[in-house]
Amino acid sequence: MTSHRPKTETHPLSLWRHLNKLRWLTLATVFIMLLCIPAISLYQTYVAAHGYALLSSSQKIFYDGMELLTAPFTDDPTKDLAVIKGNTWSGTFFGLQLSDPLAVVGQIAASLQVYWPFAITALIPIVLTMIFGRFFCGWLCPATFIYELNTNLAAWLHHLGLRSGQHLFDRRLKYLVLVVGLLISALTGAVLVATVYPPAIIGRELYYAIALGGFGSGMVFFMLTLLFDILVARRGFCRYLCPGGALYALLGRYRLFRIQRRVQHCNDCAKCNAICEFGLNPMGDDFGQECNNCTACIAICPTDALAFVVRIRDQPEQGEGHLGARYRKTHGATEQQPVVLR
Amino acid sequence: MVRRRRFVLAALAGVVGCLAALKIMPGTAWAAGRVHRYRMRFLRPPGALAEEDFLGRCIRCGQCAEACPNNCIQYFGLEGGVAAMGTPFIIPRQQACILCMKCGDICPTGALASIPRTVATIIDKVQMGKARVDKHLCLSYQGKTCGVCYRACPLPDISLRVGYLEQPHVLKDCVGCGLCERACIQMPQAIRIIPHLGERSV
Repeated sequence: MTSHRPKTETHPLSLWRHLNKLRWLTLATVFIMLLCIPAISLYQTYVAAHGYALLSSSQKIFYDGMELLTAPFTDDPTKDLAVIKGNTWSGTFFGLQLSDPLAVVGQIAASLQVYWPFAITALIPIVLTMIFGRFFCGWLCPATFIYELNTNLAAWLHHLGLRSGQHLFDRRLKYLVLVVGLLISALTGAVLVATVYPPAIIGRELYYAIALGGFGSGMVFFMLTLLFDILVARRGFCRYLCPGGALYALLGRYRLFRIQRRVQHCNDCAKCNAICEFGLNPMGDDFGQECNNCTACIAICPTDALAFVVRIRDQPEQGEGHLGARYRKTHGATEQQPVVLR
Repeated sequence: MVRRRRFVLAALAGVVGCLAALKIMPGTAWAAGRVHRYRMRFLRPPGALAEEDFLGRCIRCGQCAEACPNNCIQYFGLEGGVAAMGTPFIIPRQQACILCMKCGDICPTGALASIPRTVATIIDKVQMGKARVDKHLCLSYQGKTCGVCYRACPLPDISLRVGYLEQPHVLKDCVGCGLCERACIQMPQAIRIIPHLGERSV
């Protein structure tokens, strides 16, 4: 039995597989910032009132560390730390105000008018989503950070003999949630989509917990979604129910950058299909609008057959992978497959 | 593929149609009336829009409390009704507003208006509520000179003046920050803010 695996270490595009580590770094950074910003906001006014000398040494280290991120842009202690504020739902990032598109859409639905100074803050996220698809879901969303750890927990529970739920539903359910959520927002005149959208909940609840001394009722909802993910469907909330994910998916339907299988390098091992958190079919090139660019399939691919390409459509039905047993049987295998580079 | 496209188009058409219907229909936010049945007495942060507009404008991002140096802004869970969930409020007896106007500056949606921190603009635009004195509880009206509310007031002689035995008299320019209620030494407090949740000039 001779191995037909190409030498992956000489593969020029094998760097793609490290994107997943970068993604975890990004997710963790966003989450840690969501913890640090409320904490530092408690000290900020204190420091502005010349109370810096009264901070304890650990508080000083913490404050200086946070100031280091923002100090190059401001000198005024009352404006210190103001350049990174808020959360992923709506916040300021180095002076640039950014908001979740769902916040803008929800506000338009609730107030039945467009408040332009706020609407334009979602412009950059919308444009980025149209280029990269649901990148927010995979790379920035603080709830994704918890949900993926929750998936790992489900895997450990599986080792202990506790089966997690693997039900499948219709993915279009979340568009219904989006539409119904917006309708209820319009009828009640309150932005109620914010109360069922996990990243918004996490941003708020972390602030409540740190600065106001306890979690609020949103955390109960979030815990229920965690239980739903373990007991009913893997990543079930993101897949089937998240209204924001639905909006991002619609916006990113014709995204420019997408993951594609290069059929010459694929060996039909189907590890990508097993690892995909969203239950997509990378081996069949069936991503559609759902892919959140999490790059887990790229990281696990043993032959580096998956890569980002610039296309506005998927390319399904490329056929069997050229390194797979079935393809080699039908096409006549040579001793060493030529590695065709794009 | 075609089915999915048809579904998406139908969903979008449904949303647009319903929004158009709501726009035409008078008294759009019929359910917002339910929001007014609060059982607790609370203030919205300074510069807040009228209650119905506020609920439609506020996206529940939680930045106003983060900006508040006095830690007076809290958030509703379910106790204020579902529509008010996650919106900011102030209980002046616990911690009152110091009128720093930072929450309005940071609010991304204009639900809290950005108001310059000058006496004229604050009197003109901030309408959180209005103080009311309970003469049966107030020490100064019982013959014991107190005047704590007057000394706590950020706008003395504009919002609140004192007369004989430092008896407080609320003037028409009271903005309802609640510092007098916070400071009142009587238990329960003899001066309290009656919230103003209706029409605002902002």
